[in-house]
Amino acid sequence: MTIQKTLAGTSLTVAPEGRLDTITSPQLESELRADMNAVTNLVFDLANLTYISSAGLRVILSAQKAMNKKGTMVLRNVRPEIMEIFEITGFSSILTIE
Amino acid sequence: MQTKKTISGTFLKWLLLIVGVAFAVSMVFSWTLQTRLSEKSAHNLLRLNIADVRQDVIDASDANLLALTRDIASEIDAGAPADEAGLLALTARHDVAEINIIDADGIIISTTHPDFLNYDMRSGTQSAEFTGLLDGTVREHVQSYQPTSYDPTLLRKYAGVCLEGGGFVEVAYDAERFQRDIDHQIVGVTRNRHVGENGCIVIADENWSIVSDRNRNEGKNLVATGIWIDRDTMAEGDVFTATVYGVESSCMYVFSEGYYIIAVLPENEILLQRDTSVSLTAVLEVLVFLTLFGVIFLLVRKLVVNNLNRVNNSLSKITDGDLDEQVNVRSNTEFASLSDDINATVGTLKQYIAAAAARIDRELAFAKNIQQSALPSVFPPYPDRKDLNLFATMDTAKEVGGDFYDFYFLEENKLALLIADVSGKGIPAAMFMMTGKTVLRDYAERGDAPSVAAFNANNKLCEGNDAEMFITAWLGYLETDTGLVRFANAGHNPPVLIRDGRACFIAQKADLTLAAMEGVPYREQTLQLAPGDLLFLYTDGVTEAADAAGELFGNNRLLAALSRRFGSGEAAVRAVCGTVKEAVGTFAGETPQADDITMLCLYYAGNNALTVTAKTTELPAVTGFVNRALEGLGCPEKTTAQIDIAVEEIFANIANYAYSGEPGEVTVRVRGEDSAAVIEFRDRGFAFDPLEKPDPDVTLPAEEREPGGLGIFMVKKSMDGVTYQRENDENVLTIRKNFAK
Repeated sequence: MTIQKTLAGTSLTVAPEGRLDTITSPQLESELRADMNAVTNLVFDLANLTYISSAGLRVILSAQKAMNKKGTMVLRNVRPEIMEIFEITGFSSILTIE
Repeated sequence: MQTKKTISGTFLKWLLLIVGVAFAVSMVFSWTLQTRLSEKSAHNLLRLNIADVRQDVIDASDANLLALTRDIASEIDAGAPADEAGLLALTARHDVAEINIIDADGIIISTTHPDFLNYDMRSGTQSAEFTGLLDGTVREHVQSYQPTSYDPTLLRKYAGVCLEGGGFVEVAYDAERFQRDIDHQIVGVTRNRHVGENGCIVIADENWSIVSDRNRNEGKNLVATGIWIDRDTMAEGDVFTATVYGVESSCMYVFSEGYYIIAVLPENEILLQRDTSVSLTAVLEVLVFLTLFGVIFLLVRKLVVNNLNRVNNSLSKITDGDLDEQVNVRSNTEFASLSDDINATVGTLKQYIAAAAARIDRELAFAKNIQQSALPSVFPPYPDRKDLNLFATMDTAKEVGGDFYDFYFLEENKLALLIADVSGKGIPAAMFMMTGKTVLRDYAERGDAPSVAAFNANNKLCEGNDAEMFITAWLGYLETDTGLVRFANAGHNPPVLIRDGRACFIAQKADLTLAAMEGVPYREQTLQLAPGDLLFLYTDGVTEAADAAGELFGNNRLLAALSRRFGSGEAAVRAVCGTVKEAVGTFAGETPQADDITMLCLYYAGNNALTVTAKTTELPAVTGFVNRALEGLGCPEKTTAQIDIAVEEIFANIANYAYSGEPGEVTVRVRGEDSAAVIEFRDRGFAFDPLEKPDPDVTLPAEEREPGGLGIFMVKKSMDGVTYQRENDENVLTIRKNFAK
C-alpha cells in the first residue's frame, strides 16, 4: 500500500491507498506516529482505501483516541464497503465522517 | 409325419365304405333273388305253355275220338249189327282199335276183343270212369290216352256214347291211330306259339319223331333239336337244360296223348329278365344311396363340421390371447354343452393367469427391491466429505431394469464412479447387471485402473455369456485432491460436464461394450475437474426418451436443460437430476417410459485446501487462494470482499495466538455449498475457541474501547455462520457466507 501524507502546519492529511490489513496496518501506524505530535487536525482521505480489517481499525481507533486529546480527526471520501465496516463495528458513532 | 384328416373327410370315407358294402350286399341279394324269381317265372312260363299245348292236344284228340264214337253209336242205333262180326266190321271201317257194347248194368255184352266179354266196367279204375253214362249223368265221355284197366301195358284212348236202347258203346284207338288223325292239327299248335320271346314248343310222338316244331323239322328225330329225354330219370314237369338248336335253354316236358310236349325257353331270355331287374335295382339303389349320402354328408357338415369350425375360430382367438372371447354354438345340446365347458375352462384359466400374474408382479417387485438395495441409495452418501456431493436416481421402465450405477471410495481420496446399462430389461438384465456390478467393483477394489478393470471385467463377463447380453459402462476414478478423473468408456453415453453454467459432453472416446468380445482393450482417459464442476452421468433412457411423435429427447435438449447455474453442493446435484427428469417428463408427455432412466451427478467442490505456516506474512497467499476458490464458486465480488476480511481476521488470530514459539501450520479449505461459501481453518495450536470471547461493546466512546476482539466480532457480524470445533487435537473454525442474491 502507498500512503500519501500532506502536512500543512498542524494539519495532516493522510491518504492510504489499497488495503489496510494485518500486514499494512503497522506501516500506517508508524507513519502516523512520526508526525502525530504536532498535529492538531488529522484528516483521513479514504477515497482510495478499498479494504480494511480489524488491524486497520485499531490504527484508526488509536488515532481517534490521540486526536480526542489534542485536536480533531475527520474521515473523508469513505467508500461504501469501508463505511459498512464502520457501521458494523460501531466506529461510525465515534468517528467524524464527512 | 402323421397326416391329419378332417372329420368330413373321415366321415366321407367311412360313409362311402358303408354305402359301398350296403350296395354290394343288396346287389348280391338282389341278384340271387332275381335269379330265382326269373327261374321260377321261367318255369311257370314253361309249365303254362306246356299245359296249354297239352290241353290243345287233348282237346284235338278228344274231339276226334268223340266224333268217331258218335258216328259208330248212331250206326248201331240205326241197326248196324252189334255182334262181334258187326263190330269188327265197324272197327275196320272206322279204323279204330276196339269197340265194346256195354249194357245198362255195365257189363260188356259184345266186343271186338272176345277176352273182354262179360267184363264188368266197374271192376277197373280206368273203365269205371264210364259208369257215369249208365246213371244218365252224362251222355258222352272221353278219356285221355292211358293204360287200360284190363291190361296196364296196353295204352289206349277210350270214348263212350250212350246208346238209345240203354247202355253205351265204347270205342278205343291207340296213339298211332289218333295221331294220324290229329297230327296236322298238332302241327298248327306250335307254329304260332311262343314261349316267352324266343322260346318254342316241340312236340314229338312216342318214337321221338317230331310232330310239330317251329323250325319245320317235322318227321325228324327229336335228337335233331338237341333235346334228349330219359323218362326213367327225368320226371314230367321238371326243368332240365339242353342245347336246343344251339341255344342253351331251360326245357320241360310232359307226355300226353302219346306225344312228348316239350317247352323250350332260352337261358339268355331268363337271364335277360334277371339282368334287367338287377340293373334297374342297381340304378335305383345308386340313386337312393347317393341321395342318402348327400343328405347325411350335408347334415354332418351343418351339425358337426360347421359348429366345430365356429368353436375352432373362437378357440384360436382365445389362443391368440383374447381370453374374453366366448364360445357360443348353441344349435344343438352337445355343442351348447361344449361351449359352456370351454367358456368355463377359459374362465378358470383367466383366474389362474390373473393369480399367476399377481404372483409374478409380487416377485418382480421383490426383485426390484433386491436390485435397488444393491445400489447405493442413501443420499447424501458421504455427509462428512466436504469436497464432493453425489446424487443418483434410477427409474426403471419395467419392475426390474438393466441400468445401474455405483460409487465407492477406493482410497481415502479416490472415488470410483460407475454408470452402466445392460442390454435388455427384466429379470435376465437385472441378474446380469448384478454380475457386472460385482465384477467391476472386484477389479476396481483390487487396484486395477479403470481401463484395466474394464478389460478384466469384460473378459470375465464374456465367459459363459450364452445369453449374448452386453453392458455399456462408464467407469471413472476421481482423485479428490486434484480433481483429476481417470476413466474408461465401454460404449456408454458421454458424460456431461457443467462448468460456469455451461454444459458440454466431455472429450472422450468410447470403446467396445463389456461382454461383447473377449480380449478387447480399453483406453485410459482423463478429465480434469475444477472446483465447482458438476459431472452428470446418465444412461440412454434419458437421451432416447421419446415423445408421442416418436422423436427422441436427444443430446441437444439434454445440454440445453443443463446449461445453467445449479449452485453448489448437495442442492446442485439434486437440482441437476431433478432438472433432467423434469425436462424428459415434459418432453415425453403421456408417452410411457420405454427404457430405464438412470442418472448420477457429482459435484466437485474440490479439496480446496491450502496449508501454510501460521505467520501473518502468509496472509496474501491465503487470501489469494481463497479468492481463487471463491471465483470458482461464482461468488459475487462484494461477498468475496466480506469473506476476505473474515479470512484475514481468523488467519491473523491463528497466526498471532495459536502457537507459542515455533509457529505451526494452518490449513485453509474452501468449498461451495448450496449457494454459500464455506471456509474451514484448521490448526494444531492450543485449544482455543475465539467465539467464547465476549463481543466488544461498540456503543462505547472511543476512549473506552479496547482494540482487541474486534476481528472475531467483525467475522461474526459479516458471516452467516461461524462455528468452532476441537477435532483430533485440531482447532476447526468454519465460516459460512451465503452468496447474496
